[in-house]
Amino acid sequence: MFLRLVADNFARRPRRKLLTAAALSLGMAVATAALSVSLDVGDRLAKEFRSLGANLVVTPEADSLPLEIGGVDYRPATLGAFLPEADLPKIKTVFWRNNIMALAPVLEVEAQVSRASQKASPLSPHRAVVIGTWADHGLPLKDGSEFVTGIAKTNPWWKTEGRWFSDDAIECVVGTRWAEENGVKAGDTVSVSADGRSWMALRVSGVLTSGGAEDDAVIVPLRIAQRLAARPGQYRKLYVSALSKPEDDFARRDPKTMNPDELERWSCSPYVSSIAYSIRQVLPGSEVRVIRRVAEGEGRILTRVEMLLWLVTLAALLASGLAVGASSAASVIERRTEIGLMKALGAGSATVGFLLAIEQLLLALLGGGAGYALGLLLARFLGSRIFGEPPAPSLLVLGVVLVLAAGVTLAGSAMPLKRAANYDPAPILRGE
Amino acid sequence: MEERQTENRRMFRRVIRRMVFANRGRLLVILLALGAGAAVTAALLNLEVDAKRRITSEFRSFGANVLIVPGPEAAAADSRAKETFDAAVYDQIPKHNGRDPVEKAALLYGVARASVESPPGNSSVKSGEPIVIVGYRYYGSDLSDFFGSAKVLEATALIPKDESEASKLSETLKRQTATGGPGSLGMAGCLAGEKLAVRLKIGAGQWLHLKANSLEAFCRIASVRSTGGPEDSQLFLGLDVAGRLLEKEGRLSTVAVRVPGDASRVNGFVHDLQASFTALRITPVRQFTENEAKLYGKISGVLTATVFLVLILTALCVMAAMTNIAAERKNDVGLMKAIGGSVGRVLRIFLAEAALLGLAAGLIGAATGMALSIGLGKAVFGVASEPRLVVYPVSVVLTVVVAILAAYPLRRLVNIRPASVFRGEE
Repeated sequence: MFLRLVADNFARRPRRKLLTAAALSLGMAVATAALSVSLDVGDRLAKEFRSLGANLVVTPEADSLPLEIGGVDYRPATLGAFLPEADLPKIKTVFWRNNIMALAPVLEVEAQVSRASQKASPLSPHRAVVIGTWADHGLPLKDGSEFVTGIAKTNPWWKTEGRWFSDDAIECVVGTRWAEENGVKAGDTVSVSADGRSWMALRVSGVLTSGGAEDDAVIVPLRIAQRLAARPGQYRKLYVSALSKPEDDFARRDPKTMNPDELERWSCSPYVSSIAYSIRQVLPGSEVRVIRRVAEGEGRILTRVEMLLWLVTLAALLASGLAVGASSAASVIERRTEIGLMKALGAGSATVGFLLAIEQLLLALLGGGAGYALGLLLARFLGSRIFGEPPAPSLLVLGVVLVLAAGVTLAGSAMPLKRAANYDPAPILRGE
Repeated sequence: MEERQTENRRMFRRVIRRMVFANRGRLLVILLALGAGAAVTAALLNLEVDAKRRITSEFRSFGANVLIVPGPEAAAADSRAKETFDAAVYDQIPKHNGRDPVEKAALLYGVARASVESPPGNSSVKSGEPIVIVGYRYYGSDLSDFFGSAKVLEATALIPKDESEASKLSETLKRQTATGGPGSLGMAGCLAGEKLAVRLKIGAGQWLHLKANSLEAFCRIASVRSTGGPEDSQLFLGLDVAGRLLEKEGRLSTVAVRVPGDASRVNGFVHDLQASFTALRITPVRQFTENEAKLYGKISGVLTATVFLVLILTALCVMAAMTNIAAERKNDVGLMKAIGGSVGRVLRIFLAEAALLGLAAGLIGAATGMALSIGLGKAVFGVASEPRLVVYPVSVVLTVVVAILAAYPLRRLVNIRPASVFRGEE
């Protein structure tokens, strides 16, 4: 009998129920879309922030002080310590390997550079900074796969006119100002030499605009710089670009002062400092530093934006909750006659309340489910328009939305139901 | 004729008043639904307008985005000008770009030999280790932020801990000057990078002896900082002292500038500067200028999209709730038609009621929303967001429109036959 009453009610007044369900599903769609976007936005924006380049720098621990002015290290290549290139694949074995988006080792040498002439002797050689690095290097990993990375990935704002050198060719890329001053363009040849006696001719594959000191330099494959510096298989600095979570107060603590539980929690969160710590573990003799200029700015902005979106979500939840509550309140108010009739026929307040609550819950599940689907579509649309990739549907959101739908419909109907319980059937049935 | 019109209007108002206040429960529900919509609209619009500007100003933590360095022809004109330029440039940089303040730092780089003075006054002849010293002068709001978001590891007050320490040091200086030792430039406070401090084994409060060419100076480490950038191996000290020590007084290597605003405003600023300093090279730091524009685009995109999505859906949702409420008015419509109300009139009464409710809910809700957004702005950015007055009328009007649109399905009720309503048929 109970079920029949419920079923009958749905069948007899489909339009009315449809309206309430529509209000519900729209409200829940708002909630779903807002929740999906804000759950996802941190990761998405963190990825976007990687276009700012490396946030970690690895240097040899036992290094002498670099004499770096305006981005150029003026130490001779004979001074200071170096790190072995052969260790680099180990970086992709750390716990946070999937967060390491790109890396590029760098070796700077001061060398004689000149525009090559047709004759054997180079034209007016002068000293310039030669930067050795990877452009688009395939780093073979232990599991047999290859991690393709290089400076073009760690510093995505570097623009090359022409193309990057390929790492095994005898090629180079020249900085735009150096190119201008020396009248060199892509396709020409430049000669480099460490001592001014034995020259190496490099084909210029492109001209680089970085907006920094590199514009005055010549960028060569790491291998060639190693030969110029007589440091085979070594580099001086490694830039790492890692996806990280904005640092909070906990992350800023010194890991040395933590107890084992805290240390575990700390190293299991992708804070930039814990990623640095894990890289330090696999590269012996290295020092890993967080480039705070990039990491701090990123962290600050990400925290703000995430908070902002959570607020928007909260507001959306609030508004949709109230509107849905109002809608279900209205649907109870309009059924006064029915309630009066039921009570006149001998139904207790509890039975009536239970019947109506079950109806509302059923509606909430239907409306909430439909709203979730609609909201997911909207979130997908938003995600792919802004980040080029839709957010992954989350079961958590479905759960939250259904609970929310049930909660607000019940809360919305609670007040009119309570009043309905006190109804005296007689005046209602008389139509008063 | 006129009398009848007045009478009509009075009746109209009376009907509406009665309708609005007839059912308190219903009134509350409507005001809640519409008011919540209005509050959310006002709060989100206000936050949205405000947040965009605030996010741009958050970018300042990336530090300088424009660098001023000597141009290529400067070297030829004056040998002393090689790699440096006249310090007067620093003062000529405008302090504002539009409304927003410009931060700037004058920097002079050089190499000096440093050795630790401990205890002060015991300086034996030491060769010291070559380090990069940076003379700086800064104009802006936060020094640590500007130089690579530095984290201060340790700091001390600049005044020497005890009198005897300071007097002993100045004694040494006097003696050296008198005996014709290397020219002394006195004492200064300085900021050490973390790597430098570790390498030289010094901490805040300790003294460092600096020597360049034939000149020397003492400096007391005021703080040790970490940035992860080149600043970590540099020693920052006052521009005047550094200038004298390096014998480059009145010269600068670089001026680093933080220009607020979006890419086009930064480029405009760069263009203007380049026009006034033709001998210098003004370069935007592309790592930040370009990416800021891109990131700002994404952030404001996601914010705008979410806010508008939420607003549209909230409107629809409020509308659906309102329609649901309106649908129960069948009896009223039936009665009005039974006593001779024309279709247009009945509709007008309902629309007027809706507009009135929308206005009331909008006025209250939007005010609540504005108040809310001020608090929210404070929670997110630490600064209360300025209420934009334009948001208030916009939210109220939107609420009224939503209320009227929500009442519009009543049009359907106009077709109902009074008789069947009174018989209790559906």
